[in-house]
Amino acid sequence: MTPARPRLNAGWLLVLPLLALVVALFLGPIVNILWLSVTDPEPGLGNYAALFTSDSLGKILWTTLRICVICTVISVILGYSIAYAMVHAAESDRKRMLSLLLVSFWISVLVRTFSWLMLLGRNGLVNNGLEAIGVISQPIAFMRNELGVLIGMVHYMVPYAVLPILASMQAMDGRVVSASRSLGATGAQTFWRVYLPLTRPGVVAAALLVFIINLGFYVVPAVLGGGKVLMVAEYISVQVLITLRWGTAAMLAALLLFGVLALLFLMSRFMKLSTVFGGART
Amino acid sequence: MTTPTAPGSLHLTQLTKRYGPVTAVDNVSLQIQRGEFLTLLGPSGSGKTTLLMMIAGFQEATSGDILLDGTSIGAMPAEKRGFGMVFQGYALFPHMTVRDNVGYALSVRHRSRAEIAARVDEMLDLVQLTTLGDRMPGQLSGGQQQRVALARALCFAPPVLLLDEPLGALDKKLRIEVQAQLKDIHRRVGTTFVYVTHDQEEALSMSDRIVIMRNGRIEQVGTPSDLYQNPRTEFAASFLGKSNFLRQGGAVYALRPEKIDLSPAGSGPARLRGQVRDMAYFGAVLKYQVTVPGGEAIEVDVDAWRGGDPLPPGTDVDLNWTDAAAVRLDG
Amino acid sequence: MHDKQFLRETLLEGAQAFQAGRMQRRTFLALCGMAGFASANVLAGRAEAAAGEIVMWNWGGQSEQCHTSAIGNAFTAETGMPLKFDTSGPLQGKIKEMVDSGNVTADVCDADLFDAVALGKTGHLEPIDYTVVDKTKTIDGYALEHGISIILYGYAFMYDTEAYPDGAPTSWADFFDTAKFPGTRSLYKWANGSLEAALMADGVAKDALYPIDMDRALAKIKAIKADTIYWGAGSEAQQMIVNGEVSMGMIWQNRGRSIEMETNGRYKMVMNQALAMPGAYIVPKGNPGGPAVMKFIATAQSVPAQLDLFACLGMTPTNPEAIAALAEADQPYSITSAANMPGIALNDPTWWGENTDMAVNAFLEAIS
Repeated sequence: MTPARPRLNAGWLLVLPLLALVVALFLGPIVNILWLSVTDPEPGLGNYAALFTSDSLGKILWTTLRICVICTVISVILGYSIAYAMVHAAESDRKRMLSLLLVSFWISVLVRTFSWLMLLGRNGLVNNGLEAIGVISQPIAFMRNELGVLIGMVHYMVPYAVLPILASMQAMDGRVVSASRSLGATGAQTFWRVYLPLTRPGVVAAALLVFIINLGFYVVPAVLGGGKVLMVAEYISVQVLITLRWGTAAMLAALLLFGVLALLFLMSRFMKLSTVFGGART
Repeated sequence: MTTPTAPGSLHLTQLTKRYGPVTAVDNVSLQIQRGEFLTLLGPSGSGKTTLLMMIAGFQEATSGDILLDGTSIGAMPAEKRGFGMVFQGYALFPHMTVRDNVGYALSVRHRSRAEIAARVDEMLDLVQLTTLGDRMPGQLSGGQQQRVALARALCFAPPVLLLDEPLGALDKKLRIEVQAQLKDIHRRVGTTFVYVTHDQEEALSMSDRIVIMRNGRIEQVGTPSDLYQNPRTEFAASFLGKSNFLRQGGAVYALRPEKIDLSPAGSGPARLRGQVRDMAYFGAVLKYQVTVPGGEAIEVDVDAWRGGDPLPPGTDVDLNWTDAAAVRLDG
Repeated sequence: MHDKQFLRETLLEGAQAFQAGRMQRRTFLALCGMAGFASANVLAGRAEAAAGEIVMWNWGGQSEQCHTSAIGNAFTAETGMPLKFDTSGPLQGKIKEMVDSGNVTADVCDADLFDAVALGKTGHLEPIDYTVVDKTKTIDGYALEHGISIILYGYAFMYDTEAYPDGAPTSWADFFDTAKFPGTRSLYKWANGSLEAALMADGVAKDALYPIDMDRALAKIKAIKADTIYWGAGSEAQQMIVNGEVSMGMIWQNRGRSIEMETNGRYKMVMNQALAMPGAYIVPKGNPGGPAVMKFIATAQSVPAQLDLFACLGMTPTNPEAIAALAEADQPYSITSAANMPGIALNDPTWWGENTDMAVNAFLEAIS
């Protein structure tokens, strides 16, 4: 007699090849990157050691981190305001606002980037207009610097910030706001003590999403930064395509990957990630 | 009391609320006394909740005014009115403990920690939740949540407490238990309660006065017994308790089933003769369905302890009642 | 990464053996299974790179049309082989990746001569067959083992004539002199050309640029950093100039020529001290078209092809016969014309081939 073995659901056998394919296609490149980062140009942790010895790597990472954090904060605040306006708008207005928001997803980042140059460049609409009416005598340097990068990135990221926040606002029981008011709380008190805490999962989700996408920004900093704002994604691309330092590139890619994972782990210690990503609320 | 009007009295004058072509509340005027337990009773769509929301300040009246102790508050926002409110579904703050929920109204008024703690203890004691202060609302049963909502709404000693179907989410057994507690609390705090429900038993058992609403208008106002004994309309008579309707010479009379005397046929004079069609045994009462000439069925309740042996279907019976038992209705 | 190439060859042999009935179906499938999905890739790649055609890897835009008219038509007429294009831009990293993956789909790359040095050294390129390609039909020193210069492009600079009415800048020294010529400048972001310009501005003679003194060049670059923005693509360089973002900007000389024409001389190009860059044709190791590609390169050296490339793309010929055949009106825009030649600096592909990684990273650090 053989003991009864737990039977595998036959359905799994059907999806197994696809599952294996997905896992292989997903893990394969990641393993390859990690492998490269400790083998190119020579085996060892030399690429990682460079993080502590190379000033330029430190500067690039610091620039990236600084810009990502600032951009995330601004995008989430703007996104929150827009989502708030949408939730409180009439149904027909809300639909109109949502479609405007989604339309911006379809405009390529290159087109947007050059539109900003037309609008805010040295000879752009805004500078020329302000000069024409005598407000300024010298053009304001909106573009080709860190400010330009931030403007371009925030513009790109705001829709990403709006959607999770909007979802959490719509999921909220509106009666708690009425309850707070009935208990005598002012508008500001209701917002800070009830509305904001209850929409926090949306804010955290938006911040994570925006921050992680920001880390990979390439075109916007490259163009709007005028070459002076070097972020890690562009640097990786240069190391892969031009200088052929694939080990350095792989090390930075691995660093980004583990940075994001560490971030998620940290968040999970403070709140249930399932609530952030739309799971059940408690 | 030297003040001409006691605190906590409400006066609604010709309140109307329209949503486009729909009139949700139609020209309602009502005087609510201080400390009164007043129930707005009506089916869904009768305008009772809209009326409550206008009193609370969450809905703006299209016309008419609300006076609190003689002062107009019609244009005052909800947070300034200082009325307590218990919401349908409770609307507790899910991210705060029970204590923080209860103390919220004092905390937003910047009272001291000590004062808030003392008052919260008092309120938790009132609703018998002293041991659950540090729980989150999600960890409480429905009945416990309801009591937290009540404590939260009463914590700042509002002159008026508004309750929007607060027991709707509870099962029947629990509801009857909580009704008694609510009534008890009302007696102890002395606050004016304005209570919305569509449940007639709830209304009858708890209220000082009941306002029956229908299609945005007040159908009838009175004490529970007044409304029960002297309904003025068919709607009032049928919505509050059960009633038979008798039509005589163009007039309509309401006759409660328990006010009819039923006896086997031929034992004496009879106002109506009929035949038992059906009988149901309810323990305390026997409910008879009696077919009378014209085909209508009349419901008769007989106290089980004095009714003798139940009469089987098909038995011919005599029906009698006193003149006072049949209430002539308007129109 | 030679394992992948080995795998590919094994599979191809397996496929042929299977077709010829020498291998059992099951054995072949097991082989494919071991190779995983690489097999699909390999077979697809094989289909794409069918013999009997030449695939040119270039930078898209106008060049596809120009390469067809200047070289492709004559080459096809002579050999019967069609010319096809991959326009995704043959950056060093992409060529290396393609060769390493064992799935080479291009025969000839429109690249830089320093790429021939860098990638030749690491074994990613086929040597040029100088029995077919003519070493004398290019500039001295620009026919290397793994690549030969077909055209020249160059780094010059342009200025806005309205910004400097009282006297135009004429040299890199003027370009780097923000006191005498105030206004924003633009330089190329990937170091190439920018370093040489800085050295010339600092007084280094044009034939003493190499090996590049990095410290000296970067110090000069940093000195005008506050007034400089940097471009990474030709279109960007053009926009910076015509949108008035800069008063002076480094530009690829062929683009400068079209800007000057389109704006009727509002923006003028300074050819003095321009850096001539050898654009080269290089062949990825294991190119699918095989030795026939050498014939293609030879065709590109012919005088009609060279003149057509100049007319179509503005690229300066390298074949001395073609240079001599240029029309009088075209001379100013030809880097190597008799008038320009005395002021021109010539790029050293060997230095760049050996130092690109160090130079680019140091430059990036200096400007960011």
